[in-house]
Amino acid sequence: MLKIQNVSKVYRVGGQDFIALHNINLEIEDGAFMSFVGPSGSGKTTLLNLIGGLDSPTSGEVVFNGFHLNEMSRDQLAVLRRENIGFIFQSYNLLPVYSVYENILFPLLLNKQKESQVRDKVMALVEKVGLSAEANKKPAELSGGQCQRVAIARALVKDPLLVLADEPTANLDVENSHHILEMMRTLNQETQAAFIFSTHDEKVTRFVNREVALEDGYVKSDKVKQPNGELI
Amino acid sequence: MIRWILKGMLRDKSRSLFPFLVVAVGVALTVGLLGFMDGVFMGMIDMTAKLDTGHIRFVNKPFYEEEHLLPMDRALAGQKKTLAWLREHGDPRIQWSPRIRWGAIMDIPDEEGNTLSQTPVIGMAVQLLDPQSPERKRLQLEQSVIKGKIPSRSKQILVGYQLAETLKLTIGDTATLMGQTFDGGLATDNYTVSGFIRFGVAAMDKKMVLIDLGDAQQTFYMENMVTDWLGFLPRSVAYGDYEKIKQRIEQGLAALIKNPPEDWASDDEPIVLSILDQRNLGEIIKKFELIRGIIVMIFSFLMVLVLWNAGLINGIHRYGEMGLRLAMGETHKALMASLALEAFAVGLAGAMAGCLVGGTVVYFLQEVGVDMGDAMAQSGLMVNDVVRGRLSVEGFIRGIVPGMTASVAGSLIASLAIFQRSEANLFRELETG
Ligand SMILES: Nc1ncnc2c1ncn2[C@@H]1O[C@H](COP(=O)(O)OP(=O)(O)OP(=O)(O)O)[C@@H](O)[C@H]1O
Ligand SMILES: [Mg+2]
Repeated sequence: MLKIQNVSKVYRVGGQDFIALHNINLEIEDGAFMSFVGPSGSGKTTLLNLIGGLDSPTSGEVVFNGFHLNEMSRDQLAVLRRENIGFIFQSYNLLPVYSVYENILFPLLLNKQKESQVRDKVMALVEKVGLSAEANKKPAELSGGQCQRVAIARALVKDPLLVLADEPTANLDVENSHHILEMMRTLNQETQAAFIFSTHDEKVTRFVNREVALEDGYVKSDKVKQPNGELI
Repeated sequence: MIRWILKGMLRDKSRSLFPFLVVAVGVALTVGLLGFMDGVFMGMIDMTAKLDTGHIRFVNKPFYEEEHLLPMDRALAGQKKTLAWLREHGDPRIQWSPRIRWGAIMDIPDEEGNTLSQTPVIGMAVQLLDPQSPERKRLQLEQSVIKGKIPSRSKQILVGYQLAETLKLTIGDTATLMGQTFDGGLATDNYTVSGFIRFGVAAMDKKMVLIDLGDAQQTFYMENMVTDWLGFLPRSVAYGDYEKIKQRIEQGLAALIKNPPEDWASDDEPIVLSILDQRNLGEIIKKFELIRGIIVMIFSFLMVLVLWNAGLINGIHRYGEMGLRLAMGETHKALMASLALEAFAVGLAGAMAGCLVGGTVVYFLQEVGVDMGDAMAQSGLMVNDVVRGRLSVEGFIRGIVPGMTASVAGSLIASLAIFQRSEANLFRELETG
């Protein structure tokens, strides 16, 4: 589904080149459930950016679902994201004036679907993330964990091929983090959407099927979970 | 999607209420001010038309060229035939009124017939006696005759109230008019003062007297002659159309001059004038329109400025939302369009509210008017002392268009930043909320 080939990202800072990613090669299969781990500044966000078509690599190529992102225009990339990629952020980024239901509905409206035709689908998802009672509440009335559940539903509502989550649990306490990760794993199995999230939280390890460790822009390790649950 | 956008707008007061108020106030002020100005201006045109020039004037050129001398010997004969021709060849909307402008010495005798006082007067003769005469209404005689009565018999005279004061006249006094006959002889005739009239224009109140047209024709030996044909158009005809109407009449005029009514003098050569050709009104209109344009521009500019700033603040306020929508795959163009739609909706609502408020004020001014008292009368302008507004479709358009444009333009200028915003940093920007 996703091929990252010889990807480097160089930022120019104050007249000097700073290499944020060094010649990364990764292949990610459909329905993956994996994380990028690494200390601050290791390049996790930069890599997610490139995968999501938000930024382009200095060299190398990202191929998503057969599309060569390098060759696509800004608007084409927007359409690709709109149709195929869900996003989850550390700080939720829900729209404050809209209810839980409306926040989740929004990506479908962007894809030009009619509310009347997708109402049931949205409500089913609201129920799945356990927020039926909160469907008409505004984000300000929700806890952090609830907000992130709304964000998960919002990312999944359009049946994306891929969900990108940048530090989705960084703002949550341990209990809520586990809850969110659990929920994402369940949804990953039910929907077949691939999840890639970045984190520097070691505890995440036991939820994922694959863990790519980054350091200073290099892939330090790439562990895949064995049938016995161990990452190697 | 549109419903979704409008819903968000209504819920977030900062993106709806404030810009709405700005547009509403701006449009209300524009509509109100322009309605007031239009009213004053149309009042001036109307007043000048009624008392002096008509909207369209048909007059003998030799008379017009020396009109300050009131050369009654240059009046135009063939009253009936001329009227018939005007009705046939003039615009069907025009009501034609024959008038005589005349000048004479007015002598007030005492009981023995000796001169008590004497003064030159400027006179106007109109069809006064018939209660059905449209001139009575046009000159608002019911209201303007502040003492005495409108003449109901021949040889009665209405005197400007300030002139009457200076001459210490009382109703029923005799006034002798001494002037030139049509052919240069001396004409004298006795009139009875039937009332004092207040035109509301100082120059006229001090100098003017009014008699019946038929009386004037007798007194000055002007059988079947008038100095002026004044054409009056309904209010619905805008002053911009006067020139066209004038030209249409002019087209038929050549044929008339070639084959004139038999009692016309050989050098009679009637011309058609629009009110804008006279009393410098054309120039005044240009200035008026310029000022009106400047006012609209200033208000639009201020609205754009305020709304631009409101848009910038809004942009900061909604930075996260815009970033999120870009990340989720809304194109830059679609995002701008959605902001423009918001601005359009706010602009429309604001403009409607502004029109309602501004329109109500102007309507009040139009129907009731504000009495500016003597200030206006003393100004010497031909302006009625009751200032009235004027409600017109153009007045609303002049408020709505800038209001809506300002709303959309202000928001688009403010959101230009969005167009340049790159997706590359969205993750990092959204990290911090
Ligand atoms: N736009 C940019 N311009 C210059 N340097 C940048 C830019 N974005 C990122 N960097 C640098 O690239 C490196 C990798 O950044 P990145 O945000 O990918 O790290 P990260 O692993 O996500 O860190 P964190 O865990 O703190 O989020 C950092 O050293 C950062 O300073
Ligand atoms: Mg990061």
